Amino acid sequence: MTAYKRVQQWNTFARVWHLYDATWQNPFESAQRIMKYLKGLHKPIYHPLNDCGDHVVVINSGEIALLGDEWRKRVYFHHTGYPGGATWTLAWELHDKDPTMIMKKAVYNVMDGNLQRRYTMQRLHIYPDDDVPEKIKQNITNQIRQLRPVPKRLDRYAPEEVQRFPKVMDWPKNYILR
Amino acid sequence: MVFTSLALFVRNRGPDEFWRKRKILKLSAHFYGRRRNCYSIAIRAVHRALVSATKGRKLKKEDMVALWETRITAGCEEHNMTYPLFREGLVRCNILLNRKTLADLAVWEPRTFKSLVKVAHARVSQDGLAGVTELGDPPSGIITRGMLK
Amino acid sequence: MSNSHLFLPSGFPRAPLQNGIGRFVCQLQRITIKFCKSNGSSRGVREFIEKDLLDFAHNYPGIVVYVKPRRHHSPCLSAEYLNGERQYVNCHNHSRDEVIKWVNLLRTESGNQIIRLRKMWHTDCPSIQGPWSPFVNRDPHLNVVEFPNESLSRPVYLPKTATEQLKEIFEKQRQTNVSSLDEKQAE
Repeated sequence: MTAYKRVQQWNTFARVWHLYDATWQNPFESAQRIMKYLKGLHKPIYHPLNDCGDHVVVINSGEIALLGDEWRKRVYFHHTGYPGGATWTLAWELHDKDPTMIMKKAVYNVMDGNLQRRYTMQRLHIYPDDDVPEKIKQNITNQIRQLRPVPKRLDRYAPEEVQRFPKVMDWPKNYILR
Repeated sequence: MVFTSLALFVRNRGPDEFWRKRKILKLSAHFYGRRRNCYSIAIRAVHRALVSATKGRKLKKEDMVALWETRITAGCEEHNMTYPLFREGLVRCNILLNRKTLADLAVWEPRTFKSLVKVAHARVSQDGLAGVTELGDPPSGIITRGMLK
Repeated sequence: MSNSHLFLPSGFPRAPLQNGIGRFVCQLQRITIKFCKSNGSSRGVREFIEKDLLDFAHNYPGIVVYVKPRRHHSPCLSAEYLNGERQYVNCHNHSRDEVIKWVNLLRTESGNQIIRLRKMWHTDCPSIQGPWSPFVNRDPHLNVVEFPNESLSRPVYLPKTATEQLKEIFEKQRQTNVSSLDEKQAE
């Protein structure tokens, strides 16, 4: 193998670090997309036996959005292995304990349960907010697009913008808003 | 006088037992352990192996098709295109490339693949197929045969 | 017992005994056609025998042709070569054209075992444009971007929301109102 060819191979199999902003995103749908990047399914050189997966850095995992009343209804099961060691944790409880856990489990569950899964998960880095260590931040060279647009909160709009927004009618002066 | 024909007839079961077994042992030559040399064990293993080989002939093709499709999908998504629309666009332009060739192009000749995606995109958005609006604006400077008419 | 028969042997293409350099010796020596006189699966072979076989035997006098009617059997061709090898072709339900094709194939074969052909050249990298890499289709604009980036994070295709559509309608109405007011003032 010549030196040129060796470099060409490094080039083709280079690992890219992607960033994903999980703000207001459904973690279970996002997991499908993140999984693609972790396994290397987004590369035309993909093969199940070649190790071409990329790194994904997920930020703002504390800001994820679950559908409907899933915060109250979704249950995470864990068993310590001892008799009576089963625990059932609601999604909101788990999120309080560790804001990265729901995202991590979503990605873990969306992958096939083969021997490669643990190693693929090592390439996923989740942070509850956008405070990423500088060492990891330096590697990031690409950003994965979100699934849905993040709506702007009302208090983030400028007051004149709110004033200009079209409305059908004004409330009467003596109307008491409750 | 000794009559050996009956004894020999009893000993010789069927036509050429040695070569019959030899044929089976030839197929089990790469097995491990007694499955390789003991006939009664070898024949069972060979039967199983032949069943797997029959199934495998079909599975191999299916696996390759699945792999090519993943690769083409990956190549398409780099250029913001979907696999079904890509194939449909190529067929409508009378570019009849199969999955294997497209996957090869995506890996080995990425710029050719990019131009194929552009052609398919132009054609698909010209025909106004469902799901075209998600792809974004059609590329400029592409002339397909349908446009000339 | 060795495993050599399990895999396709390989070699370079060569004619047996440099056949064809001085004179050509047809390697096919005997061809045996077995068929049934009544069964439908032998129809194509029967047609071949009726229409083409005499010409075949006449054109290639070096090949011995045997025709064996076998009651209620699938038809088959069995070809024996100069090197002692034998080829067998099952012609069940074959048409006349297919039989002609197979007979011609058997006639032109050397009878040697089928091998994977080796070549004297080798392609290290079959690519002209350079193989794919993560940087081939990458937008150079990304090199100067600070991550996380708002515009790179947004989905590409955003259909208009109801609010945006309402706002557009409202703007349009206001425009028309303004223009009609202008007209009134002009009058």
